[in-house]
Amino acid sequence: MSRAVKPQRKALNTVLAWGMGLLIFFPILWTVLTSFKTEAEAIADPPIWFNFSWTLENYFTVQERSNYFRHFWNSVVISVGSTLIGLIIAVPAAWAMAFVPGKRTKDVLMWMLSTKMLPPVGVLVPLYLIFRDLGLLDTRIGLVFVLTMINLPIIIWMLYTYFREIPVDILEAARMDGAGLRDEVVHVLLPMAVPGMASTVLLNIILAWNEAFWTLNLTAAKAAPLTAFIASYSSPEGLFYAKLSAASTMAIAPILIMGWFSQKQLVRGLTFGAVK
Amino acid sequence: MRAEAAATGRGATSPPPSAAPPRRLLRNLTAKIAAIPMVLTALVVFLGGTVWTVVYSFTSSRMLPRAEFVGLEQYDRLWSTRRWVISIENLAIYGLCSLVFSLVIGFVLAALLDQKIRYENAFRTILLYPFALSFIVTGLVWQWILDPEFGLQSIIRGLGFENFTFDPLYNPDIAIFGILIAGLWQGTGLIMILMLAGLRGIDGEIWKASRVDGIPAWKTYLFIIVPMMRPVFITALVLITSGIVKLYDLVVAQTGGGPGIATEVPAKYVYDYMFGGQNLGQGFAASTMMLLAVAIVVIPWAMLEFGGKRRG
Repeated sequence: MSRAVKPQRKALNTVLAWGMGLLIFFPILWTVLTSFKTEAEAIADPPIWFNFSWTLENYFTVQERSNYFRHFWNSVVISVGSTLIGLIIAVPAAWAMAFVPGKRTKDVLMWMLSTKMLPPVGVLVPLYLIFRDLGLLDTRIGLVFVLTMINLPIIIWMLYTYFREIPVDILEAARMDGAGLRDEVVHVLLPMAVPGMASTVLLNIILAWNEAFWTLNLTAAKAAPLTAFIASYSSPEGLFYAKLSAASTMAIAPILIMGWFSQKQLVRGLTFGAVK
Repeated sequence: MRAEAAATGRGATSPPPSAAPPRRLLRNLTAKIAAIPMVLTALVVFLGGTVWTVVYSFTSSRMLPRAEFVGLEQYDRLWSTRRWVISIENLAIYGLCSLVFSLVIGFVLAALLDQKIRYENAFRTILLYPFALSFIVTGLVWQWILDPEFGLQSIIRGLGFENFTFDPLYNPDIAIFGILIAGLWQGTGLIMILMLAGLRGIDGEIWKASRVDGIPAWKTYLFIIVPMMRPVFITALVLITSGIVKLYDLVVAQTGGGPGIATEVPAKYVYDYMFGGQNLGQGFAASTMMLLAVAIVVIPWAMLEFGGKRRG
């Protein structure tokens, strides 16, 4: 429960809240708006807000220059692939930790999460060499592999949190009824964990979608996802802000749209399960 | 599916599950096996890779890793390189400021708004949007907003304040704060949402009691509410810290380390030496130093937080 406040204060708070929301959203809005302007309008002084001649030209230029759809497809394959494989590894692990905890389960969990604190550069070269020797550099499979490992601790942690909310009795009852381990997990546990899993999946897709350190360092042209695509616009070749905005908009649109239609999962996922 | 599962639950009658020790043993074994893939990946990749890096930081590796040990030579060189010292300073400034500011701003804003907001899910989503965008996009957008000719400065000058100057990315002394602003924009919404959820969990009776006792609201927050929200603060702390350790893409996109070397950060140093400078040994030494720094901060804290009391 929150603290009780007067109605006027309540109205004021709502206005304040949405004002802040707008302020935070403004850079995104501005980028999207600019992407529809011509280069001259984009740097007009004073800035033009809405009454400019809307154009899609920037989008065509960007697509032509760097083949957006190929990068987009790479991003999809990498983030969905790493999420699926991550789930396959994480579900058994989270099940074991939540329902058959040992003396050291908490320690293992903490140790595993602590790897997220390690600077990723520490494993960059060994991994780079392994990748080079196995011919995995600049391949989607390679990136799926890396991102799975990078995000695995988070998937396991979140699934563990959700699994623990499920009463053990129900699983035990299923077992009493003669359900095997596989049935118990697949037909009883997973269906009940669907909301939690949805948030986990969404979070993981977003994390993988945005992962830049590994994708920049392990890809060149073939497997480069959207982060690399957008990074290629960061070295300013002249001041093409409208095109830059179009490229940014194309990179973030899938996440913005997906997030808007799954607000509940987004909030739960991005706050790592802390907000119900 | 849910209903089906619940029905199965109600159908069960005979409870004693501990009656079958061999099955239980099997179950424990299954649990161990189930956890193996996870432990294996974590062990091989993180531990293996890290140890390898540390070992090779004592070698003279240049373009390729070479097992020719030269003692601490790489570290000597590292600490006498100005760029590295600046990188460390920058990370310290960024880390400290982003920790303090996002916690304080996040909490204060959450406290101001501590109530149900209309269209709450939409509100939360908007606040979380920056966090859902990559650092690369964040960096690019803020590079532009902070551009003196086209961004904030020119807009405010256009409003009549001719002498308004705000160009952090072009001033080496404060450039790192330009990056900090972008970083805060990206992460503070998330912290605020976490805090808001934490405040919701506080029992309303506490507010009533403190009002009856005539305790001012700020005191109630500081001495009663904040300590009660300890778990939320820990989650926030972990999220912020892992963001600081990863600081790389934001810098690459926003300033590329410039102007000059004013916004260099350790991760970028490592990367540039490994691939650009073809001096692996330097990169290894630098990443070992980062590792060490993290270990010095995290290990005692983790021991304090998760060790001791719970094992009893």
